[in-house]
Amino acid sequence: MIIQTKEISKKFGEFIALDKITFEVEKGEVVVLIGPSGSGKSTLLRCLNGLEKIDSGEIVIDGIKLDKDKKNIHKVKEEIGMVFQEFNLFPHLTVSGNLCLAQEIVRKRNKSDSEKISLELLDKVGLMNKKDSFPNQLSGGQQQRVAIARALAMNPKIMLFDEPTSALDPEMIGEVLEVMKNLAREGMTMLVVTHEIGFAREVANRIIFMDQGRIIEEGKTENILNSPQNPRTIAFLSKVLK
Amino acid sequence: MPLNEIFNWISHQLQILKNIFIFLAPAIPMTIKLTLIAFALALLLGLFVGIARLSHRGLIKTLSKIYVDVLRGIPLLVQIFFIYFGLGKILNLDRFLAGVIAIGVCYSAYLAEIIRAGIQAIHKGQYQAALSLGMTRYKTMRYVILPQSFRIIIPPVANEFIASLKDSSLVSIIGLRELTRAGREYYSQYFVDFQTWLVVGIIYLAMTLSLSRLVSYLEKKFKVHGYGISH
Repeated sequence: MIIQTKEISKKFGEFIALDKITFEVEKGEVVVLIGPSGSGKSTLLRCLNGLEKIDSGEIVIDGIKLDKDKKNIHKVKEEIGMVFQEFNLFPHLTVSGNLCLAQEIVRKRNKSDSEKISLELLDKVGLMNKKDSFPNQLSGGQQQRVAIARALAMNPKIMLFDEPTSALDPEMIGEVLEVMKNLAREGMTMLVVTHEIGFAREVANRIIFMDQGRIIEEGKTENILNSPQNPRTIAFLSKVLK
Repeated sequence: MPLNEIFNWISHQLQILKNIFIFLAPAIPMTIKLTLIAFALALLLGLFVGIARLSHRGLIKTLSKIYVDVLRGIPLLVQIFFIYFGLGKILNLDRFLAGVIAIGVCYSAYLAEIIRAGIQAIHKGQYQAALSLGMTRYKTMRYVILPQSFRIIIPPVANEFIASLKDSSLVSIIGLRELTRAGREYYSQYFVDFQTWLVVGIIYLAMTLSLSRLVSYLEKKFKVHGYGISH
């Protein structure tokens, strides 16, 4: 088990974002999180990599318990890569600079090593020719692919995706999903919050359906998509699958 | 009026202006030196206080707010008096040092707010991306947030610099021989008040106008690097 959560809860003031969430992810699994807005999917991802602190419960990532110990939080952050809906590339650096920065100041690699790794990753996402461009010179799809490469440059064991294609124009969704599918086929452990059911059908091992901070139903992809059991799951899927 | 008389009068006036300028010129470096060193101090202090204003630790946050409120709430002239006549007599400060400290500390409060706003202007997602790449808060500030803030705050910081150049004239009150003081000395000796202050004003204007042009140039230069919102 590379991710294990035990009854994690999180409140924002009076609003219950997560209500005793318990689940596990195995190494190499691709798990897709679906659910309506406000169901806690993004909050869950942010709690897993330490961007948000849980109020109660336990999170264990690759044997490391995520608690108040700052050293542990850092170790976990280095094991997990995250891709955001708004890309969040660093606008004052080139594409190459974006990929190299964390490598050099966090992993302490030297310039030539980090540049070599950056080029390999850019090649992988099909953007080697853009290495000296600035983020605002790229399209949304290109920026997101760079963001994926940037997260991969830290050699994470787990990749979290928070609605990676929701801010993209339809023509560009495909190129990003393609990169993500290749990543899944290479055996990366992935936890993806998305509305792209087609993506889930193709590469997800499991689907988790969340609503109002709780896991309503989870199971193998085919089972959830073809024969959902819980009425709320059925209602949600019928709206999404149209 | 005969042309000859007008010509003589103009020539006489220009001679007066020239004499004033020659008298004032040696005091100009003092004005520039005072402003540069005071503003450097203001930037250093302002950076610390500006970041402190955003601290998670309540004590640091509160102390920095008090610092900013007090220094922005008292006239600079009064602060100059306080530092030279008050603190200065205890610590035996000379006029120049007192002037530097007074302007530096006062302006640091204004710069702190500008820097704070510049940091807060950066999209939260930048922090989240940096933190999820494993960067500490300090590294995030240093490599991701502050470099972006820097470009945003250049115009207001430059304007504060120009303001501090003008405010350096207040230090004349404690007897430091900068430009305004020199003007008062000339006036009290030769009683050509209109011409004296005309020349003093023109010299300040020449400095502030050339600084404004430099600021415009800097603003354009930093725009070239393709900084823009990434989404």
